[in-house]
Amino acid sequence: MRPLMLQGHERSITQIRYNREGDLLFSSSKDSKPNVWFTINGERLGTYNGHQGAVWCIDVDWTSTKFISGSGDMSLKLWSVETGKNIASIESKSSVRCCNFSYSGNQAAYSTDRAMGQDCELFIIDVRTMDSSLNDAQPILRLPMKNSKITSMLWFLDETIITGHENGLVSIYDTRMGREVNSVKEHTSVIQDMQLSRDMTMFVTASKDCTAKLFDADSLVCLKQYKTERPVNSAAISPIYDHVVLGGGQEAMDVTTTSTKAGKFDSRFFHLIYEEEFARLKGHFGPINSLAFHPDGKSYASGGEDGFVRIQVFDQSYHELVFE
Amino acid sequence: MARKRNEEYIGESDDGEFEEEPVESFEDPEGFVDTISDEDLLSDLLKKKPCETDGMENVIVVDEIPKVEPARQEKLENVIKKLFSTCGEIANVFYPKDENGYTKGYCFIEYKSPSQAEEAVKVYSNYRLDKTHTLLVNVFTDFQKYENIPVEWTPPTPQPYKPTVDLYSFLTEPDAYDQYCVVVDNGTSPSQVQFWENSLPDPTELHRKDKFTEQTVKWSPLGTYIVAYHKQGVAIWGGPQFQRINKFPHPGTTHVDFSPKENFIVTYGSAGAGGGSKVIIWDIRTGLEKRSFVADPHAPTSLFRWSHDDKYVASMGDGAIHIYETETFYLLEKKSVKIPGIRGFAWSPTDNIIAYWVAEQTDVPAKVTLMEIPKKREIRTKNLFNVADCKLHWQKSGDYLGVKVDRFSKSKKGGQKDQDVKFLGMFYNFEIFHMREKDIPVDSVEIKEPIGAFSWEPVGDKFAIIHGEGAGGCNVSFYEAKKGQKVSLVKKMERKSATHLFWSPRGGFIVLANCTQGVFEFVDTQDFTIMNTGDHHGAFQCEWDPTGRYVATGLSLYKAKDDHSYYIWSFQGRLLRRVNLKNFLQLFWRPRPPTLLSEAQQKEIKKNLKKYYPQFEAKDRLRQTRASKELLEKRAKLREEFMEWRQKRVQDYENLRLKRLELRNRIDTDTLEADKDNLEEEIVECLVKEETTLI
Repeated sequence: MRPLMLQGHERSITQIRYNREGDLLFSSSKDSKPNVWFTINGERLGTYNGHQGAVWCIDVDWTSTKFISGSGDMSLKLWSVETGKNIASIESKSSVRCCNFSYSGNQAAYSTDRAMGQDCELFIIDVRTMDSSLNDAQPILRLPMKNSKITSMLWFLDETIITGHENGLVSIYDTRMGREVNSVKEHTSVIQDMQLSRDMTMFVTASKDCTAKLFDADSLVCLKQYKTERPVNSAAISPIYDHVVLGGGQEAMDVTTTSTKAGKFDSRFFHLIYEEEFARLKGHFGPINSLAFHPDGKSYASGGEDGFVRIQVFDQSYHELVFE
Repeated sequence: MARKRNEEYIGESDDGEFEEEPVESFEDPEGFVDTISDEDLLSDLLKKKPCETDGMENVIVVDEIPKVEPARQEKLENVIKKLFSTCGEIANVFYPKDENGYTKGYCFIEYKSPSQAEEAVKVYSNYRLDKTHTLLVNVFTDFQKYENIPVEWTPPTPQPYKPTVDLYSFLTEPDAYDQYCVVVDNGTSPSQVQFWENSLPDPTELHRKDKFTEQTVKWSPLGTYIVAYHKQGVAIWGGPQFQRINKFPHPGTTHVDFSPKENFIVTYGSAGAGGGSKVIIWDIRTGLEKRSFVADPHAPTSLFRWSHDDKYVASMGDGAIHIYETETFYLLEKKSVKIPGIRGFAWSPTDNIIAYWVAEQTDVPAKVTLMEIPKKREIRTKNLFNVADCKLHWQKSGDYLGVKVDRFSKSKKGGQKDQDVKFLGMFYNFEIFHMREKDIPVDSVEIKEPIGAFSWEPVGDKFAIIHGEGAGGCNVSFYEAKKGQKVSLVKKMERKSATHLFWSPRGGFIVLANCTQGVFEFVDTQDFTIMNTGDHHGAFQCEWDPTGRYVATGLSLYKAKDDHSYYIWSFQGRLLRRVNLKNFLQLFWRPRPPTLLSEAQQKEIKKNLKKYYPQFEAKDRLRQTRASKELLEKRAKLREEFMEWRQKRVQDYENLRLKRLELRNRIDTDTLEADKDNLEEEIVECLVKEETTLI
């Protein structure tokens, strides 16, 4: 089946996210306007206008009412999904790199870059009150990250946060105690992305060290490893099969000097348990920056450095594929 | 020994009648014979013992110099002096003379030190003074040594048999799997070399040698040995464990060449401290130097080319070909073949025929000549006009010789002077010599476009040419040379992107390779179907295995900074194996010697192929199922382990269900359809196409 090409961004995609039901797809890019699309036909529902700089991260809560975005303009903005109105804007001292809603959607976490003399910091805020009073409200928790900057983040229910760091470190923080509980260093380079499995028992990391790894979400034991020849920017676990999809490719700065073929901008499908690659999907002509499975597992979307978001519905043969 | 004997003696005296106080005696007992010489006990000290040198070590005897009359003696002395003073200052020279005053054909030269004398022996032994005189040089003291040789001959004691390495074990592999070696530069110089066997369904690694070679490796033409380069020289390895068989010390060796029958090895390296380059020909089995040539440091080293049977080796000089007989390594018939204006030559791969070409000189056309060796008889000459350059291409089976002739069309002489030659572009000719026919007829194929590549089918009558250039790509043409007929075009494939041609060593199949992009087209030349097109991005190496069953393509550190890999394809172009290997350098298939079966036997096998086919098929299938069984077992194990862990974690997940419900206002979101009340069905109509119709 032909993929849906979502053209709406003027610059490279930074992150894409489905809402819980999978009827909406949110995308952010360096062009400062996050978009929301209908996944069924690829029609654009609207944009969230207000940021002044590249939008690095986005998230939507489970009820699909609240939407947050963090940007290089040193702000975290909270939006109403339905109206596209900016409800609150929290200023920070440096760019906002990651932002996530907790399981309940009552809290949100965001992290800032280490830049302009500022340390990387992790903030947790209460987002139950949906109004501009948030702008000046004190965060529930403020944790400075001394050693390495946070480059990706996950909530586990409402109590713990899993962070992926610039130096390849993965840590778990207890938000109530406000301290690190556990950490492992399995990767040798930046962890670009982390995504939980549907049942939240494991998560997959994507790293610039050309691998993606599967971790136990509780003990942080590395269970599996998926190897490629290029930096991996994003990885996702299928909600219905034992499949993992990896996206990445040549580093963005080298793209202009290499052809599409050499860049290896394919989405690559691996078997979750056997670690064997079984399929590749071409399409992007730049590295893939973000990937996500539709919650029903029947399609997936990818956003690339080339500025396109592609939604690919799987063929019947994908569902018939049997690994003995 | 001595001590022991003393003790025995003391023991004996105790048995005597006298009760003597046992006094330790250091005297030798009566009748004691000292069996140990000073040499055994103090050899190291004796060596250092100062002794007079009688000066005899400084003297050398030069034999086989010309016998000359007194009038010419001075000239001879000058020549000898000039030669031998290169090894050191000469203290004294003496020429014995007969009663007529003629020199006796030898002389004595005294140097200042024994080392200079030794050097002179080393340098000038077997030095060829002229056609009839080859010097024999010895140190004078050697004569004493040889005088002492006993008259009676005692047979040498038989040496115990040392089992040698089985150099041909690789040929006894029952499934005829081919071997290949992979050179990897894993950061530490020298490079690592891996030896693989291309077994089914997966290749097996036979051996791995770290720090094996300085730059690259090379198989000998029959696959018996593999050469590794080192700073001090080269070494050859072989046998089932890849042991070192021999080494050839030649510092700075950059290039190595084997004779076709693997009797000799040629090393091209540096000539030592003085600079310049040197070529040494060695005997592979004994490891001895057969002959060496010091080349002019400014001129490019001429390559030595071997005749197919190792009988001759030839190199090109200025206006001559030097042909050496390998029995003695002297020039054939003691003289070079003078060919003024010679520009290139090549041996036939199957006969002792040399093809060479001579450039155009004023009023004399260029020509290509075939010369029979050792008779040095010209068996065919072809004159050519307006020649810019020639390339000689022998077909592997020696049936044909193709000469690619670059010619300039119609050089118009503008003005009076000859220098004002106007070139009106180039065109290209292929002169095809039919070697197996009477009088060697020559055909000619003319092509107007530039030639990218030319290649003979190794076994068969076809050759392929890449020609033309431009936006649309180039053309690949196949010509066939049939017996008694003119060469004819059989197929022209247009708009190709190929840059190189790789024929299967068994003929029939060819790979059209684009070595800049890494695109490989596999063509069956029976009906010229493109069986498959393979893509190995950036790959520029392409190697057929010696049996023509597989092709390896490689992308190495030499060209790209990452993605180093090699692929193995079937001859139909099916990708069999993809190996990503960081810092991969090269892959070389191990060659095989030609088959020992006669043509009749080969025909017989071909005829009965249908009979063998099911056997091999069954074997392959068995292997495949075994392999897939192994894979399945491995997967089953992985799955089991994973599931064990997973079950535990799913239990944890179930246990947290209440908490999850609590966090999300008692709405079950565990699955998409879990919460029926909250589900809202929506029918979406997609606008597929918009059309406006004007009424």
